Amino acid sequence: MKKFDIVIAGGGVIGAACAYFLSRDTQLKVALIDIKKPGNASRASAGGLWAIGESVGLGCGVIFFKTLSKLQSESKGKDIPVMRPHQLPDCFFEFALASNAMYPALHKELFEQHGVDFKFERTGLKFIMYNQDDRIYAEQITRGIPHLADQIRWLDAQQLKEEEPYITDDAIGAIDFICDHQVNPYRLVDAYLEGARQNGVDLVLNSEVNKVLRKDDRVTGVTTQEETYYCDTLINAAGAWADTLFNKATGLNMPVYPVKGQIVLSERLPKVLNGCVSTSDCYIAQKDNGEILIGSSTEEKGFDTTNSLDKITELSQGALKCLPILKDSNIKRCWAGLRPGTPDELPILGHVPGIKGYINACGHFRTGIVTSAITGKLITELVTGQETSLDLTPFSVTRFFTQE
Amino acid sequence: MTHSCPVVIVGGGPAGTAAAAQLGKLGITSKIIEEASKIGGVIYRGPLRNTHSLPHLDDNLKRAMAALQTRYYANRRHIELLENTRVLGPEGTHSLLLNKGETLSNIEYQELILATGCHERSVPFEGWQLPGVMLMGGVQLQIKSGLVQPGRKMALVGTGPLLPLVACQLHRSGIDVVGVYEASQFSKLAKEAVALLNEPKLTLSGLSMMGYLKKHTIPFYYGWGIVSAQGENALKSITVAPYNEHWQADTQNAQTLEVDALGVGYGFVARSQLAMLMGLDHQYSTVSGSIPTLDQWQHSSVNNVYVAGDSSGVLGADAAICEGQIAAIRIAQNRGVLTGKEAAQHAGKVMRKLERLKRFRSGFDRFSERQVGLMELAKPETVVCRCEKTTRAQVDIALAQGVKDITSLKMRTRLGMGDCQGKTCASYAIDRLYQSGCTDNIGAIKPRFPLDPIPFTFLEEQ
Ligand SMILES: Cc1cc2nc3c(=O)[nH]c(=O)nc-3n(C[C@H](O)[C@H](O)[C@H](O)COP(=O)(O)OP(=O)(O)OC[C@H]3O[C@@H](n4cnc5c(N)ncnc54)[C@H](O)[C@@H]3O)c2cc1C
Ligand SMILES: Cc1cc2nc3c(=O)[nH]c(=O)nc-3n(C[C@H](O)[C@H](O)[C@H](O)COP(=O)(O)OP(=O)(O)OC[C@H]3O[C@@H](n4cnc5c(N)ncnc54)[C@H](O)[C@@H]3O)c2cc1C
Repeated sequence: MKKFDIVIAGGGVIGAACAYFLSRDTQLKVALIDIKKPGNASRASAGGLWAIGESVGLGCGVIFFKTLSKLQSESKGKDIPVMRPHQLPDCFFEFALASNAMYPALHKELFEQHGVDFKFERTGLKFIMYNQDDRIYAEQITRGIPHLADQIRWLDAQQLKEEEPYITDDAIGAIDFICDHQVNPYRLVDAYLEGARQNGVDLVLNSEVNKVLRKDDRVTGVTTQEETYYCDTLINAAGAWADTLFNKATGLNMPVYPVKGQIVLSERLPKVLNGCVSTSDCYIAQKDNGEILIGSSTEEKGFDTTNSLDKITELSQGALKCLPILKDSNIKRCWAGLRPGTPDELPILGHVPGIKGYINACGHFRTGIVTSAITGKLITELVTGQETSLDLTPFSVTRFFTQE
Repeated sequence: MTHSCPVVIVGGGPAGTAAAAQLGKLGITSKIIEEASKIGGVIYRGPLRNTHSLPHLDDNLKRAMAALQTRYYANRRHIELLENTRVLGPEGTHSLLLNKGETLSNIEYQELILATGCHERSVPFEGWQLPGVMLMGGVQLQIKSGLVQPGRKMALVGTGPLLPLVACQLHRSGIDVVGVYEASQFSKLAKEAVALLNEPKLTLSGLSMMGYLKKHTIPFYYGWGIVSAQGENALKSITVAPYNEHWQADTQNAQTLEVDALGVGYGFVARSQLAMLMGLDHQYSTVSGSIPTLDQWQHSSVNNVYVAGDSSGVLGADAAICEGQIAAIRIAQNRGVLTGKEAAQHAGKVMRKLERLKRFRSGFDRFSERQVGLMELAKPETVVCRCEKTTRAQVDIALAQGVKDITSLKMRTRLGMGDCQGKTCASYAIDRLYQSGCTDNIGAIKPRFPLDPIPFTFLEEQ
């Protein structure tokens, strides 16, 4: 039997960020319990810090957009709504941008004080345009975010060629989101965890939270196969598995479900991309070791994490079209991860009415890497009873509860 | 379940072909996927030719293989062979990703038999990467091809029954075998006499090989082994020395021999990458490395997936045939082709034979059990992982820092991160972890999907 102030269930990027911020900013006694389940999202992710890109439906959202446009072209003639970029609400922009702004300092801090370099790279994210449709789409995006005009650069074909010489000559230009960058996602998780460990957090790795202990309306702890952990507050950071834990803690359900994403990775190449790239087929990022990462599908197939030939083919073809030099390379690896999806694509953060000692930190869907920093900060503020730096109301689980 | 779908078998070695023949006999169709151009597996790369043209096999095995061929051909109409086709991994939930030539495709299955065989265990020592230093399989392949000779003056080092066999084969094909060095002491072999008598025929054929070596004055040393290999761009000489019972070399009494080729054979490791990728539960075996956990019907922890032959634990060709048959019989029972009683009857005899073979084999396994000395051969600067150029010193440091499992070792040293996916270095790494006292949760080098790199051009729009 052990006693902590806080137990965090789940050690992906979200649980790790919560552990780090809590250990940095408070004196609370914290334990983090994690079992790496196949398909955990943080290890599968691309590591894009695409705060704007993702908010407007590029990056991981691009396949989603592709599906929408396909629907549109298939139903030609019918009366269909004008195609709009898939843009998230303002509260999300604020959330993602605030988080994104934290990385330069966080990178320095975790490297200098805890010795882990999570490979923060200033890359920008370019949306590559091949034709007039793409240009119209890009214009719609920029019109939708007038307040962010200073974060967008338009590049014509010539400028694009100068900045990214390996991108196909067929490109007619690009828009570049200058504040969108990238990290190495495993290193980011490791950095948070190492910082947390050095600050005194108990890391219980390779253990699964099996049971949630309750006394009346209060969560009092959890059990693993080996041990019971009593706590004042349980933080649910169980990624795509968060609903199971939520149910154990509250008896209720919430709509967090696995959304599978497949990734294709090339062998190492010399530097052929200066920045991250999104097309209407896929996104492409050259990582710090030279491998080129191509993502990603959006599939609802439960907890299945297999790769499939159709998606690998789609992604590869999309990447070959944009970056013809890939013809000389091989696919070294493919994998699939499970995003913790929610119906409105917003995370689920904060307390649950009627339940004491329990906090949600889940549902980060396709942006948990970029939004981990702000999540860690907000949850820390919440635990210590401070006023949170952003309004958490839009992220409350209660938005899914039907009034009866 | 509809039973229109053929049983899919990966690997056309003795285990895979025996399974297909058995299924065919029971009227069940199957598809064999084989990466080579012909079936037969590692013991004979080549067409299903007459066994007397297989100079490297001993007579018993020749007979067993001849019988298998007959059964295979008798049931050929139930068997579809996809040759030159490699399985790259699972695709979706009940399908495999295949590569043939420049195309990728997939194949669905309801029942799957994995019979992917084994590969040889690499042992790093000073000079192990010199051209001319070969594993036994490479040596045999060259003898079989009959085109190139592995060398003119050769020595063999290693352990187990393959040593005298390969020595005889080399001599028959006109190569000067200057010495054969068996790491274990003769007294240890004598202790296993009881186990070996489980299969008197196999034991006798071993004795006849020893007789052959004696007759042709090929020196065979028990309790001797490799220390190092020397040469600039090619092998010039080797140093061998007496081994004590822990296989530690007595370098005071080392000898240096001039040779242009060396065969090294310190055992085999199950080829379990595909099984691991498919999520089958595995366990560690000192003899065969990571092997899937199976019931007595060769059935794995994943429903309708069976593993047979060396990929389920290295036991040799005769046992591989038995295991393939057992899996086939079970599938027939599950499909309702055989009743439980019939299945038990069919399988009973095969299972008993398998038991005998296992007892025989365990005698050899005890005799050939790897000892610590083998891990001490690599010098600090000796490369132990070829792909990533990890040296022994790097492994030593990581272990000294308290690394206790293979994943951490991989992260620290990059060992096993290369394109071969740890095929070469994993057994050394696991042995080292064991030796340093870690026996629980060492883990395995997790294979990656796909098993081989896929050129992007295979996926170009047609
Ligand atoms: C292919 C792909 C690409 C992506 N690309 C990006 C990107 O470029 N940028 C970006 O910002 N985001 C990206 N994402 C999204 C991002 O990866 C996720 O939003 C984020 O990783 C979610 O983190 P998490 O900690 O909530 O979940 P996870 O990383 O899944 O962590 C949850 C952890 O909890 C563990 N767990 C679950 N139940 C229990 C239990 N009962 N007991 C103990 N442990 C438990 C799980 O095993 C897991 O380790 C991508 C996602 C995918 C799949
Ligand atoms: C060098 C060497 C010498 C040997 N000598 C003897 C001997 O003299 N006597 C004896 O009894 N035993 C000998 N053996 C052992 C004997 O070869 C094996 O025990 C026997 O072949 C096992 O049969 P199997 O069907 O399990 O595997 P194998 O014969 O190895 O067959 C496996 C087959 O699967 C195929 N395969 C594997 N992976 C894939 C994939 N992903 N996609 C498609 N195809 C795949 C391989 O190409 C291979 O043909 C030797 C083994 C080796 C390696």
